[in-house]
Amino acid sequence: MPPLAWYALRRVAHGLVTLWFAITITFLLLRLLPGDPATAIASTNMDATMRQELLTKYGLTESLPIQYGKYLVQLVQGNLGTSFSQSEPVSTVLMARLPWTLLLTGSALVVTVAIGIPLGVVAATHAKGALDRIVQVVGVVGQSLFVPSVGIFLLYILGLKLKWFPIGGAHDENVYGIAWYLNVGWHLVLPCASLALVSLGSYVLILRSTLIESLGEDFCVLARAKGTPERIVVWKHGLRNALLPTTTLLGLQLGFMVGGSVLTETIFAYPGVGRAIYESVIRLDFPVLQGAFVLLAATVVAANMITDLAYGLLDPRVRTA
Amino acid sequence: MRAQRLIRVCVIGAVGAFLAACAPSAPSTQNAAAGSSPSDTLTIATTTDVVNLNPMLGNSRTDSWVTDLMYPRLLTVSANGSKEPNLATKWGYSADGKTGFFDLRNDFAWSDGTKLTATDVAYTINTIKTQKPKGNVVSGFMSNLDKATAVSPTRVELQLNKPDSIVVPEVGFWMTVVPEHIFSKQAKIDDFANASDWVSAGPYRLSSIAKGQSYTLERVEPYPIAPNGKPTLAKVVFKVYPDVNTEILALKKGDVDVIANALPPAQVKDLKGTSGISVTEVPGLGFTHMTYNMKRKPMDNVLVRQALAHAVDYKSIRAVAVQGQAVTANSSPITDSLKEFADPTLKEYTFDPQKSKALLAQAGVSNLKLTMIYSLQDPVIAAWSSMVKDSAAQAGITIDLKGMDRNTYLAKTVAGDYDIYAGSFAIMDEPVSNMALQYLPDGAINYSQVNDPQLTSLIEQAQSTIDKGKQKSLVQQAAGYVNKNMIDNIMYVQNLNVAHSSKWDGFITRPSELLSIIDPASLANVHQK
Amino acid sequence: MSIVLADLETEPVGQQESAAGATWYAFRHNPMGLVALGLMLVLVLVGLGAPLIAHYPSGFTSDVLQSPSSLHWFGTDNLGRDIMAEVVWGTRISMTVGFCASLLAVTFGVLIGMLGAYFPRADTALGMVVDLSLSLPVLPLMILVAALAGPSLGTIILVISFFSWPEVARVVRSQALSVVNLPYMDAARVLGGRHRWILRRHLLPAVAPVITVTVVLTASRAVIAEAGLSFLGMGDPSSWSWGRILYESQQSGSMTSDWWTTLFPSAAILLLVVAATLIAIAYNDARNPRSRED
Repeated sequence: MPPLAWYALRRVAHGLVTLWFAITITFLLLRLLPGDPATAIASTNMDATMRQELLTKYGLTESLPIQYGKYLVQLVQGNLGTSFSQSEPVSTVLMARLPWTLLLTGSALVVTVAIGIPLGVVAATHAKGALDRIVQVVGVVGQSLFVPSVGIFLLYILGLKLKWFPIGGAHDENVYGIAWYLNVGWHLVLPCASLALVSLGSYVLILRSTLIESLGEDFCVLARAKGTPERIVVWKHGLRNALLPTTTLLGLQLGFMVGGSVLTETIFAYPGVGRAIYESVIRLDFPVLQGAFVLLAATVVAANMITDLAYGLLDPRVRTA
Repeated sequence: MRAQRLIRVCVIGAVGAFLAACAPSAPSTQNAAAGSSPSDTLTIATTTDVVNLNPMLGNSRTDSWVTDLMYPRLLTVSANGSKEPNLATKWGYSADGKTGFFDLRNDFAWSDGTKLTATDVAYTINTIKTQKPKGNVVSGFMSNLDKATAVSPTRVELQLNKPDSIVVPEVGFWMTVVPEHIFSKQAKIDDFANASDWVSAGPYRLSSIAKGQSYTLERVEPYPIAPNGKPTLAKVVFKVYPDVNTEILALKKGDVDVIANALPPAQVKDLKGTSGISVTEVPGLGFTHMTYNMKRKPMDNVLVRQALAHAVDYKSIRAVAVQGQAVTANSSPITDSLKEFADPTLKEYTFDPQKSKALLAQAGVSNLKLTMIYSLQDPVIAAWSSMVKDSAAQAGITIDLKGMDRNTYLAKTVAGDYDIYAGSFAIMDEPVSNMALQYLPDGAINYSQVNDPQLTSLIEQAQSTIDKGKQKSLVQQAAGYVNKNMIDNIMYVQNLNVAHSSKWDGFITRPSELLSIIDPASLANVHQK
Repeated sequence: MSIVLADLETEPVGQQESAAGATWYAFRHNPMGLVALGLMLVLVLVGLGAPLIAHYPSGFTSDVLQSPSSLHWFGTDNLGRDIMAEVVWGTRISMTVGFCASLLAVTFGVLIGMLGAYFPRADTALGMVVDLSLSLPVLPLMILVAALAGPSLGTIILVISFFSWPEVARVVRSQALSVVNLPYMDAARVLGGRHRWILRRHLLPAVAPVITVTVVLTASRAVIAEAGLSFLGMGDPSSWSWGRILYESQQSGSMTSDWWTTLFPSAAILLLVVAATLIAIAYNDARNPRSRED
């Protein structure tokens, strides 16, 4: 088999193992830490027998290996279980929320890359100059921001005072057709900006330093010696090289963002999976929590697999590693 | 090279297809409500999402607000804290007290055309009794109930195995009536999500849901309690804002018309002063209290409990932590919210650290160290807990504050694992029932862990008599007993403030956050100025 | 006549700079690094000297939610407590949490990273564990653990360090890998050095620069993580951290109507993380001969 195919196969296997790992960790954490869902659902007049009945119904009285085995079997069949508190299948509960988180983090990533690359190039080509310093400041300050504060500030200024954007939510009620998509985009601006500001910070800084390094490498010196215009040296040769490690970084960033979106979703009333996780933690709704972590891990695994495959495409050295 | 480019395109295409598949899609105009405009749509903000729409299961506050607009209660509560007719016109007991009854209105109907009759009421009661749906509070009142029967389309009779003055008013208020012809099709109520095709008795009916975001209800006609039988609003929309700060911004901007959850005390002043916004005071029906675990020494000694009670600065707590939006409870479990049963002669314990010291010395207790548990989910209690700690220190009492997440807090409460418990009840609506739940040895909310034969006897007598006069006398005796022996430190009744846009008029205010200004009667009556 | 060479006074022609000396020289001459270091020192001093600067914020006053004035430079919060005092004492707690979590994470991460680079057979297993941990959604898991284990400073520190060490291990491992196959390491092995000696004497110093940077960066990320957890209500309610100030502001609905309750703790977080990041950048620039200012 050609090295690229081997590489792809290895990455897929790696992804599956990662998924299994995330599932197991969540499963164990939920069952080994204190607290039981029956208490969370309990009304004040729930006596001991009722609590036991509930726990039995949820399958929480069986031994740990049995619970684990049953859960894995269920998962392989595509069944995420039924929510303890909502009496609905977990997949229904989560599939209503997951797309919003994907939209939010996906658009934040796109914005990060779209703004980050030009900024990184500007900084690297004006290394040690004024423009470089400005970009560095933007980068450093960006990754030091506390998302809820930024979010509420944006809502206050751009939402309430200037009235340019809506205050929270993913879309309005009475909108249909094409207008609905525009409406979603309008609601997406502020939450996406909050998330993007923070991830832009670290992205720009890392891109800048890898680009500076690759621009100083021999192959760029050779290109300049050949008389290639500086613009092409930077964008075609230097950037191509610098993007490789930063692409892997994007995969990591996605993982961080998808998990960190809980704060953004809370402030902006964005109905994503991060907020659903928070609410399920409060209610100790194990199936929803497990399902949410499975989905999140799957998303991150998929994203990492895609970036790794892209990396393998772009960089032949990796395939033979 | 070309292969690479091809692979690249395929990868991007696959990603795009995947995203398109799980992307949310725009709703079509087929679901559009005909002819509704902003002037007859009321948008209500809430901080908690809907958990489930089955009124027979345990529900969050938002669930109740939504389902109350579809499933009626038999009784409601008036401004002075006593029960009022809603679906039921008359209620009470037979002479021997072993049969309870509700006489119903005959003009309620379900939105699918079926008439609402006593069959629905009896079905609801019996199903709760037999299936004990998870989280349902009403089943706790049904211990002496055998069965409910619809003796006529407008009369339900409850067969009791012994006289019980609590069942009728409590079932009447806490239970919402569901359509028998829909719910009886379910094998197990616990598994019924009630997530679509709603059948409502009015004034409004769910028409669409955007999970985690908004819940839209539309008018149901006729609705007997609305002016001229027609609810004034075409649509009611509940919107979820997990953060109260964002919620307030939305109200100020005009994205929402009402904030349903009670305002944090610190924001009342600011919102009152904002033009375009009105703040309405909603009387509280519950109270906030601390209990001293009487199963643990030295709290079993009345002198120690009284000492602890004198080491609390009640006035400052009300002034600062609750921003003056609370009233004293006179250290009595029957607060002034229940005007008919409250005893005006009872007085609140004074803040007197010297007296505390004297009482402790008298009891022979020194260097008292106790832990106090409270839920971090309750911001007001979290605020004054440090005040309690500081004032107790003035009396030489050390209190170790243990704020905890709600689930740990619930677990410890149930297990009785605390020295001091701090918490609040939102609705304590029925005096006899309240006393029974709180002070009988096996009472569901006996957080004082009290087992006092004298108190028990008074309460049990009140439970078994249906004579209002006798009930009142017994309840007042019991409340006085609790006050004198400091069995429960009732600190204050918090009045709630809700905010709404000044454009709207016609709200009817009822006590407690559950009813507030958004109960069915109010929402069927509200209109733009 | 015999001249003993040893008697001749020899003048050194030039000094051979040590690598550490060159790094420190470059760092000293980088204004950005110096300012950041100074800022960090100020924060540390404020944290250490908190009892001398302000009264421990407790109890209540009736000056609820007052805007900044000469009496209360940062204003007051929803119970009338002075916010400047809260920020000052919060410096102590937040920085303690940050550095403790960071030290724990770094100790464990360095160990795993070095072992993985040094023992190739263990590397596949260890590398897999690190990779897997990196794919976990961190904040939700932190929320889960904090909620279940109960809020306390110890729990928060443990939770944050538990989810921070994989990143450290990854960075240390790649740095160690670049060194582990160099000739001098082979020489040490040939000379018969025991593993523990080689790790401590040769590998550890080689990764030391990376450790310094990682400690600082992990600490700053830990401060943000703590603020996030506290903001959601998972923090320790009995200690003042910057996250708790924000939590109280959020719970009382004051974030926008009383902007000072949000601004000052957020600014404190910003200052700490900016200082930490700048120190790390300046250190890296100083260490790398290619980017030194000279």
